[in-house]
Amino acid sequence: MNNVTQIVQKVRQAHWRVQRQWIGLFLLGLVAVAMVAGIYLNVTVRATLAGREILLLQSSIADNQLKNSDLETQLASLSSIQSVQQRAQDQGFQPADPTDIVYVVVPGYSRRTVVDLSTPGNSASKVPALLPEYTESLFDWLTRQLTSSTPAGGQP
Amino acid sequence: MKRPNFWRYLTVAAVMALAGLAILVQLVRIQSSPEVAGITGQGTYVWKTFYPPRGEIYDRHGNLLAGNKTVYEVGLDLTVKPDPQTVALAAQMAMGMDPAQTISRIENAAAGTQYIVLKDFVPPEQYDQLVKLQTAARSDPSGRNLDALHFKAHLMRSYPENDLASTVLGFVTEDNHGYLGVEEKYDNILAGIPVTELVPADPRRAIDYPSIPAGQTIVLTIDREIQASVEHILDNALATTGAVSGTIIVMDPRTGEILAMTSSPRMNLNNYQDVGQIFPGETPFDRAISEAYEPGSVVKILTMASALDSGVVKPDTVYLDNGIIYVGGVPIRDWDGGAWGYQDMTGCLANSLNVCLAWVSTQMGNASFYSYMQRFGLGHPTGIDLAGENPGRLKLPGDSDWYPVDLGTNAFGQGVAITPIQMMMAASALANDGKMVYPHVLYGQVQNGRQSNMTPQVVGTPISADTAHTITAMLANSLEQESSTALIPGYRIAGKTGTAQIPIQDGYDPTNVNVSFIGWGPADDPQFMVYVWLEKPQTNKAASVVAAPVFKQVIEKLVVLLNIPPDVVRLQNTGR
Repeated sequence: MNNVTQIVQKVRQAHWRVQRQWIGLFLLGLVAVAMVAGIYLNVTVRATLAGREILLLQSSIADNQLKNSDLETQLASLSSIQSVQQRAQDQGFQPADPTDIVYVVVPGYSRRTVVDLSTPGNSASKVPALLPEYTESLFDWLTRQLTSSTPAGGQP
Repeated sequence: MKRPNFWRYLTVAAVMALAGLAILVQLVRIQSSPEVAGITGQGTYVWKTFYPPRGEIYDRHGNLLAGNKTVYEVGLDLTVKPDPQTVALAAQMAMGMDPAQTISRIENAAAGTQYIVLKDFVPPEQYDQLVKLQTAARSDPSGRNLDALHFKAHLMRSYPENDLASTVLGFVTEDNHGYLGVEEKYDNILAGIPVTELVPADPRRAIDYPSIPAGQTIVLTIDREIQASVEHILDNALATTGAVSGTIIVMDPRTGEILAMTSSPRMNLNNYQDVGQIFPGETPFDRAISEAYEPGSVVKILTMASALDSGVVKPDTVYLDNGIIYVGGVPIRDWDGGAWGYQDMTGCLANSLNVCLAWVSTQMGNASFYSYMQRFGLGHPTGIDLAGENPGRLKLPGDSDWYPVDLGTNAFGQGVAITPIQMMMAASALANDGKMVYPHVLYGQVQNGRQSNMTPQVVGTPISADTAHTITAMLANSLEQESSTALIPGYRIAGKTGTAQIPIQDGYDPTNVNVSFIGWGPADDPQFMVYVWLEKPQTNKAASVVAAPVFKQVIEKLVVLLNIPPDVVRLQNTGR
């Protein structure tokens, strides 16, 4: 019995075992720090890349706005009243006067109305550019999930 | 017991611990180092101005009247030591710039200057040429390249219809400020609000960039086809009559929407720099709203409407016109100096008798007559949404320059200064059941993809609906009785000519007159109102000869473009 106790004490108190435990703990800490640093670096790089992409997209949007404006103005120039009248004349048309016109009743005909420049599907513009998942904290997300999963009302 | 490898283990552990510590220290140092922060932009902010694109202007059918086009700012980065000769040569070849001046600007730039703007608002063709030169210069064996040239694209105002509706639109200068017309009146909403903000240089914080809303797009009440037709008619009228200037306005009397408005001269808005040459001195940019004049007999319709409404006369009231009437001791005569005998009120209007209308105003008396004139808006700006409106002048009893004779002369449109748009607004009451409408050119504005339209406004009811119907019928009858040259077959039109002397320093110009015509139709359901004014016509001095035919040309176009069938067809279709 004593022999067994001595052996256990020697194993427990062996210097190499204590050292190995310390080294193991130290390496564990180092790995943990390295992991945090790696994750931090990864997130930072991704955020930076996303930021650069946003800037590039903003620049691209600005370029496209310029091009759109140019094209719109060019189109308006090509379809200006002078151009249209000239093309019509070249094709043999001439302006109508009241005596040229025969009026007939067309059921359902409605007069030309004033333009409405509202964007079709305008409601889409209400969708935020960034989804909340990208801006809210974990707590916010949890709260939202809990709130959204709450039944709105009793169903029969 | 001492293990033989103890120191080895300890050394390795210490080295690894130091290495780990070094990594941590380096991480912290990088994060907090101002030098690195400067490189990455982390924590630093830069001032940046965001210019929203200017809102566009459309006519009522969606045709673009004012848009934007891309131009370039050409700048030079002085930090890379550009060769002045090479830059000057390129600037001369592409943009026609004086080489000596370019070299001087580069060489004499203030110490520390990093960037100078060689030229702004460079058109795309010149920009393309510069880019080609820059590309070609890179392969120059002498090494004198053009890499110091920098280009920054931005928008500037463009008017694809050139001079169409120019007096309505106004123009925008290079500093993005609107002048005159719609561009000035709605400059705030068209230009948007440039925003200068501190924005993070750190790309990770790009999301913090502000969102700058573009200027609002607006839709005008102007109809491009009607506008073009009216301008063409006015140009022809000026050429054939020798008139100094002219104005034509087309309005919907039910809503006050201006369908067309033009006056001479007009200018190509893309060349706004010429404004000083085209409108020298005091020449108004838009005579329709800015030039008050004595309109003459067209004011008789307001006098007669007031008298009918106040019950002083009825259409069948007979007046003996003996050719002269004294008001305030001053004799007033008819336009031909003759005596027209017994005339009912329709006859007074049809023959445009000054004596008769002066009698009508004296029957009303000062208080009633001027009360009506003020209710018609004379002497006050209409508030039309265009910059530069003239309020005109209606002298009132008690004013230092008012004399009793003014009661008589004002009745037939002399001694009172009004603008064409004031006359239109006042007459809208006659065509619109007694309701006077606010004249305007803005139909709607588009914000965040939604168009909100303006609601027509009634600014007063100076006369009753019955009076409005009566005066309209009287005017339509008078045009038919005289077989006016303003009429077109199939349509019953109400209207009145106006021939007015032009006041000069010592009385009235003996040789020149202003001729006008105001009318609306169809008489039973007015859908348009037209005002024509020609200043100092040379071929003839009678409005019935000069202005009425112009009015006729306008309504010939209007009934086609507005899809208004002849009265017979229209009344059949409406079951009347």
